[in-house]
Amino acid sequence: MTAPEGPPTAHIAGAAATPTSVASRQAPTDLTLSFVDEATVREVAAAAGEPEWLLAERLEGLRSFDALPIETNPLYTTYVDLRNAKLAATRPTLGRPDAAAAIATDPKLLPEGAAGYAEVSDDRVTALVLSPDARDAGVILETLAGLGRRDPEWLRRLLEGGCTLPERDKLAQLTRALWTSGLLLHVPNGVRLERPVVLRWSVGAPGSAVLSRSVISVGEDAEVSVVEEQVASAGSVGADSSGPQAFFAGTTEVRLGPGSTLSFAGLQDFAISQVAFQHRSAVLERGATIRWALAHLGSRIIRSRIDNALEGDGASVEQAEIIFGSSDQLFDLTSYTRHIGRDTTGNLLSKAALADRSRAYMKGLATIDKPAHGTDSFLGEFAMLLSKQTRSVAIPSLEIDQPDCRRVAHASSVGPIDETQMFYLESRGIDPDDARKFIVLGYLEPVVARMPLESAQNRLRELLDAKWEAQVGTRSGASAVA
Amino acid sequence: MASSPQIVSGEYKFGFHDEVEYLEQTKRGLTRQTVEEISRIKDEPKWMLDFRLRAYEHFLARPMPMWGGDLLQIDLDKIVYYRKPSEGEEKSWDDVPDKIKKTFERLGIPEAERKFLSGVGAQYDSEVVYHSVREELSKIGVVFMGTDQGLKEYPELFRKYFATVVPPEDNKFAALNSAVWSGGSFVYVPKGVEVPLPLQAYFRINAENTGQFERTLIIVDEGAKVHYIEGCTAPIYTTDALHAAVVEVIALPGSKVRYTTIQNWSNDVYNLVTKRAHAHAHSTVEWIDANTGSRLTMKYPSIYLRGEGATAEVISVAVAGKGQHQDTGAKAIHLAPNTRSRIVSKSISKDGGRTTYRGNLKVAPGATGVVASVRCDALLLDEGSRSDTYPYIDIQEDDTTMTHEATVGKISQDQVFYLMSRGLTENEATNLVVQGFLEVFTKELPMEYAIEFNRLVKLEMEGSLG
Repeated sequence: MTAPEGPPTAHIAGAAATPTSVASRQAPTDLTLSFVDEATVREVAAAAGEPEWLLAERLEGLRSFDALPIETNPLYTTYVDLRNAKLAATRPTLGRPDAAAAIATDPKLLPEGAAGYAEVSDDRVTALVLSPDARDAGVILETLAGLGRRDPEWLRRLLEGGCTLPERDKLAQLTRALWTSGLLLHVPNGVRLERPVVLRWSVGAPGSAVLSRSVISVGEDAEVSVVEEQVASAGSVGADSSGPQAFFAGTTEVRLGPGSTLSFAGLQDFAISQVAFQHRSAVLERGATIRWALAHLGSRIIRSRIDNALEGDGASVEQAEIIFGSSDQLFDLTSYTRHIGRDTTGNLLSKAALADRSRAYMKGLATIDKPAHGTDSFLGEFAMLLSKQTRSVAIPSLEIDQPDCRRVAHASSVGPIDETQMFYLESRGIDPDDARKFIVLGYLEPVVARMPLESAQNRLRELLDAKWEAQVGTRSGASAVA
Repeated sequence: MASSPQIVSGEYKFGFHDEVEYLEQTKRGLTRQTVEEISRIKDEPKWMLDFRLRAYEHFLARPMPMWGGDLLQIDLDKIVYYRKPSEGEEKSWDDVPDKIKKTFERLGIPEAERKFLSGVGAQYDSEVVYHSVREELSKIGVVFMGTDQGLKEYPELFRKYFATVVPPEDNKFAALNSAVWSGGSFVYVPKGVEVPLPLQAYFRINAENTGQFERTLIIVDEGAKVHYIEGCTAPIYTTDALHAAVVEVIALPGSKVRYTTIQNWSNDVYNLVTKRAHAHAHSTVEWIDANTGSRLTMKYPSIYLRGEGATAEVISVAVAGKGQHQDTGAKAIHLAPNTRSRIVSKSISKDGGRTTYRGNLKVAPGATGVVASVRCDALLLDEGSRSDTYPYIDIQEDDTTMTHEATVGKISQDQVFYLMSRGLTENEATNLVVQGFLEVFTKELPMEYAIEFNRLVKLEMEGSLG
């Protein structure tokens, strides 16, 4: 282990990361991508006819990518495992930038109850639709390429300097260097959209690499909700986890003006052949609120990071993430919440239900800076283990420089399905398999309930239900009999 | 290399002075020769020399850990790695800083003990006390002696267990300790023997020159029971800036071991200690650990629960004042079925001090039926102080029951106000609240230690309030 009885094995991993004995085996921190070089960056920029500053911006991202290790935070170096990512053969499609002509705008595409709809299929934006009232209110939903043609200065203000992406994150910098499709959702000052905007990604063609940026800017006192659906495209490879893989790297970069609110509900159900890196970051001004509700179901490996910067006084973040894992999926979730303004609130919750050999790493760090008087911060990381081969790692951390807080606490618990709950349900005549299912799905309900669109809520329920039946239900029933 | 001519000229100018003054010690800095010399002076068996050299090589190869406290201020070349114990080593009472003398007075520590604690006296009569204690112990077969002596008198037992819990490759400072260790305690409690009184390290500390690289090995045989106490509330005054100790505890089946530490090094010391226990079947290991002194402490007492039904408990307290960083915590590694662990950590940061809790709770595959809990509470008394919490919870068995809770806050003004309305001054009220916060620790101490510890906390608090 590490120096003086050191923190948890950090250096074991460090040692494992530099393979000396078994040179042929892939180390947990090794990531092989064949398309990340300056020539490709220049090709992407040239194909889209991008201005000089944007090329420079991309090259800056590339330099950071080359310079940084996979995990820069020494607290977490042990908990990286990319050994199941076989991405050397993946490549982005080049020379086909988002072009207005290829994008459908038919109002009929708008899902029921939605105010806007954007669709990205494999490597390009294929649909962009706004409801008439949203358009009249000045809401903007367009590609970053489109914005660059229409208002290059605005695009520059949004992207230059890496926007809200974390500087010291290798994978975020990768997307900064090589994104090929991008979206902007802008809600002007004072506009409150009652109905959500739906963003839909379908990716997963074998050998494909999709790198995409999404920027959401919400004006002063504006309010909007977003439903993000990430699903497997028709050409993706499901079921078999040994087939060729597909790569996805996506961002959600949020700026929240004073008094504004964003509710963001995400549902990730990529194919098992997918490796996905996701970066979500939000900068909140005075009195702004962000609510993240994220469900992670799919992908072989999902490495996700959320950065919340509560800069303005009274800003608040409410974050709920659920994981439902099976087979040998790895869910690697990190969240950083930084309290900077006075009287800010952070309420963060992660819950994992893990079956088969699935693993969850839940790494959360709440930082309370000196000026952050009156902070209220809660961080909870919980796991329910449904099989003997699962692994749950929770690292709910705090760094506190200001004693004058309303509340600072974190909690974590791990265990199997609660026997007393089982007993109660069974005593009511419920079949043990059903009882197990009710308990697990009930445990994951907090995120389901936060989906702002009824159809999305139902969809998530169906997906959880289907995953339970396919992966867990039959097997646990059999073991209960045995 | 470029600077070596200057060093040579420096030695030329001042070197003769050193020669006379420090005949009984190795040269400053660590070389292979230093390690060989230590082993030669101690007249050790070949295997121990080989062990030291292996550790030395690892120490050189291992990079400085960067994840915790700031270790870059330590100048490893300025340290004297070994001083031969001798009566000639006495320091003068006049050399002891006034601040420390004053603290002794206020803690109510007797004159003779004060001198001994500040490293001044070989004349302190604990020698007598120690001998009578040893006689009592040897009647029931308990071995309690210096580690160097243990190596000589019990070579087989020693070799069987030494470095089996903390190998030199464990971390950089365990490697350093393994290369240059000297002093510490060697304890063996035979099968079924319950040691009636706590074994107190300071009974024999002056006899063995317990120092900066002490190495303690405690073996508790089947069904035996012992309580070991090290340290004391008085600030230990030392001229050495680095304390890198290793403590190994082996709790054999059915035994019970409690290890209590009150660490109060003076505020310029780097205290980098590896403490680990192996708990075999149905044994119980408890670390009761308080850290109030030192500039930087990095210490995470740990228990590897290797046998079925073993129990682990860690109660850890840290107080960090001005210029101090207490980077402490605990580890419970569950490797066997039906093992239990409980970790309780309490920390106080004040006057710009910093406390860090770092913990690791691990349940390995095969360790079924584990019950574990972790509780961390931190008090931040003022602006400019800092508190960090980094718990690692890594569970690989589905029928584990694990709960973890942590809170950070300031002293409740309601409680202070209530106590003041009952006639206490603000200082007294704050003191009482802090003592209540730490009670989970103090109630585990033998009474005389508890009283002294409370006095110590009170002094620390007055420092912050006054």
